[in-house]
Amino acid sequence: MQERVKLTDAQINKDLLRSMEENPLWYWLLVGALGLAVLVAFAAVAYMFNRGLGVTGLNRPVMWGFFITNFVFWIGISHAGVMLSAILRLVQAEWRRPATRAAEVLTVFSLMTAMTMPLIHAGRPWRVMYWVFPLDWARGVYPNVRSALVWDPSAVFTYLTSSILFVFIALIPDIAVARDRTTGWKHVLYSVLALGWRGSVRQWKLQLIAGILLSAVILPIFVSVHSIVSWDFAAAVSVEGWHSTVFAPYFVIGAVHSGVSAVVTVMIILRSMFKWQDYIRLEHLDALAKLLIVVATTWFFFFVLEFLFGLYSLEGPEIRLREMQVFEMPWAAFFVAFLVCSYFIPVPMWLFRSVRRSIPLMIFTTVLVNVGMWLERFIIIVPGLARKQGLTFTWGGYTPSAVEIIIVFATFCMVSMLVLLFAKVFPLIPIGDAKEGVVLEDEIKIGKVKVPAIMRED
Amino acid sequence: MHELHHPPTPVYWGMTAQELTQDVVQRHASPGRQFWAIAGVLAGLFALGVIGFILLLTQHGVDNRREWGYFATAFAYIFVTAQSAVLVSVALRMAKAHWRRPLARISEMFAAVGLFNFLLLIPLLWVLPPTDGRRSIWFDWPGRSPHLWDTIAMGTLVVLGLAILYFASIPDRAAVRDQAGSEPSTKWRGNVQQWIVLNRGLAVLGGFYFMLLIVVHMLISVDFAMSLIPGWKDSIFPAFHALNGLQSGVALILVTMFILRQTTGLRKYLEVDQFWGLSKLLLAISLLWFYFWWSGFFVYWYGRTPAEQGVLRYIMFETYWVPFFLAFVMCFALPFFILMWNIVRKTTWGPALAGAIVLVGTFFNVLRYYVPAFAVEELSLHSLEHIPTANLPSFIDILVVIGALSGAVLTYMLAARVFPIMSMWELREGQILQRVRKLMKIEVKVLAKPE
Repeated sequence: MQERVKLTDAQINKDLLRSMEENPLWYWLLVGALGLAVLVAFAAVAYMFNRGLGVTGLNRPVMWGFFITNFVFWIGISHAGVMLSAILRLVQAEWRRPATRAAEVLTVFSLMTAMTMPLIHAGRPWRVMYWVFPLDWARGVYPNVRSALVWDPSAVFTYLTSSILFVFIALIPDIAVARDRTTGWKHVLYSVLALGWRGSVRQWKLQLIAGILLSAVILPIFVSVHSIVSWDFAAAVSVEGWHSTVFAPYFVIGAVHSGVSAVVTVMIILRSMFKWQDYIRLEHLDALAKLLIVVATTWFFFFVLEFLFGLYSLEGPEIRLREMQVFEMPWAAFFVAFLVCSYFIPVPMWLFRSVRRSIPLMIFTTVLVNVGMWLERFIIIVPGLARKQGLTFTWGGYTPSAVEIIIVFATFCMVSMLVLLFAKVFPLIPIGDAKEGVVLEDEIKIGKVKVPAIMRED
Repeated sequence: MHELHHPPTPVYWGMTAQELTQDVVQRHASPGRQFWAIAGVLAGLFALGVIGFILLLTQHGVDNRREWGYFATAFAYIFVTAQSAVLVSVALRMAKAHWRRPLARISEMFAAVGLFNFLLLIPLLWVLPPTDGRRSIWFDWPGRSPHLWDTIAMGTLVVLGLAILYFASIPDRAAVRDQAGSEPSTKWRGNVQQWIVLNRGLAVLGGFYFMLLIVVHMLISVDFAMSLIPGWKDSIFPAFHALNGLQSGVALILVTMFILRQTTGLRKYLEVDQFWGLSKLLLAISLLWFYFWWSGFFVYWYGRTPAEQGVLRYIMFETYWVPFFLAFVMCFALPFFILMWNIVRKTTWGPALAGAIVLVGTFFNVLRYYVPAFAVEELSLHSLEHIPTANLPSFIDILVVIGALSGAVLTYMLAARVFPIMSMWELREGQILQRVRKLMKIEVKVLAKPE
């Protein structure tokens, strides 16, 4: 906590609106490159729709591959927003302040991206309209409301709606700052979005109450979303390795692990892009890394439970699956890589303060976590389906095609591009929160030492 | 910001170091007649429990597992509640929560109950069958693995808990000795180096205790419950067991604090702050209790395999539906409806009431696992072919349970004669690291956050 710098309101406004007011060339080049990758992916999707799912590597019995893995991965990333924003707000953790907006925005964009995955995977996404307009009821074809595949979109859409609301409510005071510093059409746009914000005591109070209420309401939604995603798998008894009671909390805590890691990665990138060293300080990375140690260890405990109780049943197919995951190539390589990347390298490193406060090492470890967590989802989904059974016509394997690889790669570009575009329109660090943090910072003198302190109302 | 108001300053902030030490030491030196009267009653009940245990052993032996169900419940209940209560202090110290200070020792002293709990494990080692021919987490390890490793794990946990209690109380025991005018402590001088070692040592011990407690929860819950019911394969159960432990640990401290407030005049230390802080924790854990329970139940219910249906019928919907229903209501529904109101959380009676309800609910929750598990005779099957009948408590069972619980409370009270119940050095540290300052028109607390 020693890196604090006393900042004035004017300085905070200037610094945090930098991403909106300045137009460096590198920014547009970066957005352009990311946009190009997304366009290529659009072309790949169009090609796939035209030719059919045969252009993917999906083949009986492995009908869930890269797309579904990527869907689960992005749903996981989306859990960072609520974890950091809502929970840390409720527990009044001071170090949350610079991270909340980036986390919330990452939630919204990763949810949107996640939702595209099942649509693309469906091959004929227009058929989703049957869920909205019951055209097929006459023929008795309508969604089965008891299916986990129907709960999924319901939960994810609810989460998306509430997350957007969550971001917007927190944004209002910052939009008003932007309104007061712009002219022309931008001023009109911000005026409309600011909803007449003047910063009166009553407005602050209402905004605060709305934030707390939304935090409390969004928490069950946050937990339900990944639980329901996990039940897409766990409710099935036919695929070995899926029917496990620990799946829901295992998925949720895994999502928090990868989501918070992603937020750290994004924060570090933003810090260097927009020179926000005074706001995203090393102490914040330190605190987030400590949180990650706890989250990762809890996640690892659930992993052990999941694996151990897979073997506990002593049933042949289940043991065969575990052998396949651990000893047979290429699954074994993925399995080792997933464990090493998501736990055995980052967590021991985070135990050292020097690592927690090192920008290159933190970006290395947090990216590594997400490589590992992507592989984790792959290892859960595909080997269970790929295990050879009695009927030889279902002995197909799975190798992702170029189309799948392009589309999955482009989802990372799309989320990055959307975050960068958001930074052009709205501040990515909450200005009001940053100012409140400055007001509440204090020191206590103990002997000759000044210890950092915070003011706290009950 | 919340409704603006003046934060109540804890009474002990206004005491000098000497006043604080004198007050705590004086209370420690003279516990009063009431203390010894209660201890006497508990000793009597414990003696009845010993008689019950002897009757159990002589009448049924160790081969009739069904008869040991309630003894196992008593053992598991004390493990779940008391050993997890130590974790509350450990976790709050890790989180640097200043409000923990007055309750730190109250929590750590439950480590002494761990010793008593360990004694209860010993007879169960003869009752627990070997793992040959049945499902267990020990797979092909030698048949006596659970007996050996569970004992080692539990023993290490108890030693770790006692180490935490011992180290955390070194400065206070030195103060008690100094105040009593006896030979001053030669080892503890309170120099900078010693304080650094103490703080780091507590952090390391706490971390190990945390991890080992979760492991022991896993071993006890699987070896003494899950693996004794054919067809019960439930990967969330060890985590649920541990969570129930944390929940009842918090509840136990809330109830203990309330009793101490009412009986020992510790009101100036145990204020609404401590109840409020723990009540929020209890509310969050109660919600998680439901989530973990639901996650397990849901997958089982959806699976619909004969093995899953048999387990659901046995420990949830048919044979043991009464304890299941009571556990559900008392571990989730009632505490949730009591603690969801901030106005109730900000009292001393509200959280204590919720805590008492959770403690009773946890007893039923433990009972509905361990009594049924010990009542199954044929262990080598892959599912329950016949649902056993309910094992209702006999007079001996009641004696054993009452005796075990009385013994646990008595152990805690005796520990309070050795260790001062208020952690003086942590209270003093709290005085130094916290202030009240003016912010515009109101007063706010300023909390130092040293590295």
